[in-house]
Amino acid sequence: MKILIPLKQVPDSTVRVKVAPDGKSVATEGITWSISPYDEYAIEMALERKDADPSTVVAVVAVGPARSRDALRQALAMGCDEASLVIADAAAPLAVARALAKVVEEAKPDLVLCGKQASDDDQGFVGPALAELLGWPHVATITKVAPTDGGVELWREVEGGHEVWKAPLPALATVHKSEKEPRYPSLPGIMKAKKKEIPERPISALGVDGSGPTWTVLSMEPPPTRGGGKILKDGDAKQIAEQLATALRDEAKVL
Amino acid sequence: MKTLVVAERKGSELRRVTLELAAKARELGEATIVEIAGERYSPMPFVSALAKKVESEKPDLVLLGATLNGRDLGARLAARLGRAYAADVTGLRAEGNAVEVDKPMYAGKVRAKLRVDLPAVVSVRPGALTLKGAADAPPQVENIEADTSAEKLTFVKLEGTATAAKRVSLSDARVIVSGGRGLKGPENWHLVEELADALGGAVGASRAVTDAGWRPNEEQVGQTGKTVTPDLYIALGISGAIQHLAGMTSSKVIVAVNKDPDADIFKIADYGVVADVFEFVPAFTEAVKKARAS
Ligand SMILES: Cc1cc2nc3c(=O)[nH]c(=O)nc-3n(C[C@H](O)[C@H](O)[C@H](O)COP(=O)(O)OP(=O)(O)OC[C@H]3O[C@@H](n4cnc5c(N)ncnc54)[C@H](O)[C@@H]3O)c2cc1C
Ligand SMILES: Nc1ncnc2c1ncn2[C@@H]1O[C@H](COP(=O)(O)O)[C@@H](O)[C@H]1O
Repeated sequence: MKILIPLKQVPDSTVRVKVAPDGKSVATEGITWSISPYDEYAIEMALERKDADPSTVVAVVAVGPARSRDALRQALAMGCDEASLVIADAAAPLAVARALAKVVEEAKPDLVLCGKQASDDDQGFVGPALAELLGWPHVATITKVAPTDGGVELWREVEGGHEVWKAPLPALATVHKSEKEPRYPSLPGIMKAKKKEIPERPISALGVDGSGPTWTVLSMEPPPTRGGGKILKDGDAKQIAEQLATALRDEAKVL
Repeated sequence: MKTLVVAERKGSELRRVTLELAAKARELGEATIVEIAGERYSPMPFVSALAKKVESEKPDLVLLGATLNGRDLGARLAARLGRAYAADVTGLRAEGNAVEVDKPMYAGKVRAKLRVDLPAVVSVRPGALTLKGAADAPPQVENIEADTSAEKLTFVKLEGTATAAKRVSLSDARVIVSGGRGLKGPENWHLVEELADALGGAVGASRAVTDAGWRPNEEQVGQTGKTVTPDLYIALGISGAIQHLAGMTSSKVIVAVNKDPDADIFKIADYGVVADVFEFVPAFTEAVKKARAS
């Protein structure tokens, strides 16, 4: 089985994201970039399939600026087989999906795994949009995949449990979580990844321009700062518990 | 402005977010509320039915709840129609031939104001728009049938998690009590549950807890879990890692109980208690019951 994972490079989850002086974008100077967390889960899920069946081929692709190469290299170091980069400095979400659709048509994977949402725009658009452009079925927010006769079974977390769906191949799923935590690259993995070619081409080479329906950012702000809270410390556990319950009822009015 | 609201039901009742969207749509102008009837949500049959409705009614704006299914449906619908899409917005205003939306980005670390040109598809976070109560009459809901001819998937089965059924779900809850690694093990979760029950709330967890398998994934709050905005969020034995905070800092009132006075969670808490959870939580549960009774 061939699995393709479209991945996005985003600020690492530990970065304290700051708004840039223009008030409309985030400051990217000096920040650490990583594979978006749900895309890492998608990679782990695919590599778990490869662990179970070594004939599985796992490929990754990113559409983005040249720095995205580092995220692809990281994916190779984790154990992915192939990576390719489509250069686009600013492409509308639908244009990203269009470019990915071209890559899918060339690479002919059986299964495409996207993250459930990228942790920068928090949209969850590109996965379903890619399935739509390809005319493929998709299952969103899965936690498990298993091959079955003539397709795959996909577990989807819903309120109160999991739905299990069967999809014929080719199909697309967006990943919420893998069974295990995303693996760290091994030393041999890192060495091997260094030697791999990551071919790149501009988005225009796929016959796609970067335009498409999107939004205009009017402003960005940090969330309102919290603080000025109080620490309750007078008395024993029972007395503090009573003070807190009373404060929540009479002061905060949330009981 | 002409708005089409996609209704969602939980059991026999419309979800609260549907009422919130219906009220917003009426405020914006002409509103149609549709519910897609089908055995269960599946993207292709739902998108197909909804796209037909949109093509015949030509609304400027399609609004969905930013629920598990609403977000998925909105994304594929927007791609089919070639419309702009904004997911999980927390505010929305008409602005000429566009809507201006508030959208948390970067896992809640940034709040953006965006201009989205019409026609557009927007999903709105449950609880973000306020209901004005009695003034918001229950909406007239029109039914459309899911287009089963568009289905390519086969539903196999539903596997239940026993714990989840009896409490309100995290995304709808007005009160959430979350437990972290400080609870030491799944056998101590009755402390979290008893407090949640005394408050009529839902139970959440940190990722350390869901990763350890102490609690199901669906209870995880944070960057790679659920983003929640209850009136009251109580963090028990949670350190306050940036990825946990990303999912809960917009809660109205935050209470933290942690034995480490330097824990980061205290920096964002409205009320902090430096204590051992095993000692404090049972006392607090009793105090809550008393305070609610009097
Ligand atoms: C990409 C990425 C995504 C992530 N996403 C999430 C996410 O969505 N949600 C999330 O929660 N985390 C997430 N994390 C993990 C996060 O970084 C932390 O590791 C996690 O939140 C820690 O959980 P915790 O607070 O329960 O555990 P710890 O950090 O171990 O904290 C336990 C706390 O309990 C206190 N304690 C111990 N014993 C007691 C006691 N008896 N009484 C009172 N207090 C006690 C300790 O003082 C400590 O503060 C993510 C990490 C990464 C890298
Ligand atoms: N520029 C991109 N290049 C490759 N994959 C992407 C890109 N943007 C989004 N994706 C994929 O689509 C998912 C959802 O992204 P988004 O719609 O931006 O939330 C991500 O988790 C990735 O799997």
